[in-house]
Amino acid sequence: MSMNRIAVFDVLRGTMAMLGERQKVLARNIANANTPGYVAKDVDDKSFNKLLSNTMHGQGQQSGHLAMQVTEAGHIRGKAAGAASAKFKIIARPDSETTLNGNSVVLEEQVMRVAETRMRYEAAAGLYEKSMGLLRLAISRPGR
Amino acid sequence: MTDMSSALKIAAAGMRAQSARMRVIAENVANAGSTATGPDGQPYRRKIPVFTEELDRATGVHLVHMSKPIPDASKFRSVYDPGHPAADAKGFVKYPNVNSMVELMDMREAQRSFEANISVIENSRAMLSRTLELLRSR
Repeated sequence: MSMNRIAVFDVLRGTMAMLGERQKVLARNIANANTPGYVAKDVDDKSFNKLLSNTMHGQGQQSGHLAMQVTEAGHIRGKAAGAASAKFKIIARPDSETTLNGNSVVLEEQVMRVAETRMRYEAAAGLYEKSMGLLRLAISRPGR
Repeated sequence: MTDMSSALKIAAAGMRAQSARMRVIAENVANAGSTATGPDGQPYRRKIPVFTEELDRATGVHLVHMSKPIPDASKFRSVYDPGHPAADAKGFVKYPNVNSMVELMDMREAQRSFEANISVIENSRAMLSRTLELLRSR
């Protein structure tokens, strides 16, 4: 039995991969907080929700993991770094202010997003742990 | 896992870029009074640090770094001081176009961005260790 066949693990794994990817995108935004012409980016929630519902309704379970998608001509379906990043669509999401040099990163908003991502990641990891505990309970000897 | 270490790398590059910017600001502040030594010379010209983003081919992530600082084209300050060795025929000395208030603001901004990068590193590290804790759970 593969763990990926169990929907809850599959969904949590997908969520954690998405949040990891998001953390990378946010790190890039913050590192470029003073780069002229840089537009803030984020992971597209819509594309992720679609992937998630595909998984939950059985389409993704055929192959055992979330299907990779190339949503734009520029996306590269790489092996090492591309495996996780090709799944989620990165879109431009400028913050509330754009400075005169065309930079649309507002540090406060980005740091908030980083904190939110971390919270969601920890929640997903906690759920994963809990589900694992349930599995362990099911396979343990009765009466112990 | 690779996402987290990429995030760490990106944030570290951001910190390095902000430190390089600090160095340029320090240069500007230190040279705020550097005039020419003779009437024909030019005083120190303020430098502006500029960041660019570049794809790091080894890791496949976009890292930020400081490109060559560009000279500030604004006019030099003119101060009347006939006794100065760099004074022209009318007695005016050209001083660098450095405004210490502007430099101070820039320094603050560099510091703030540096701290934001540190918070990214802290958060990524916490997420990474949370993932590893899944192995330890029983």
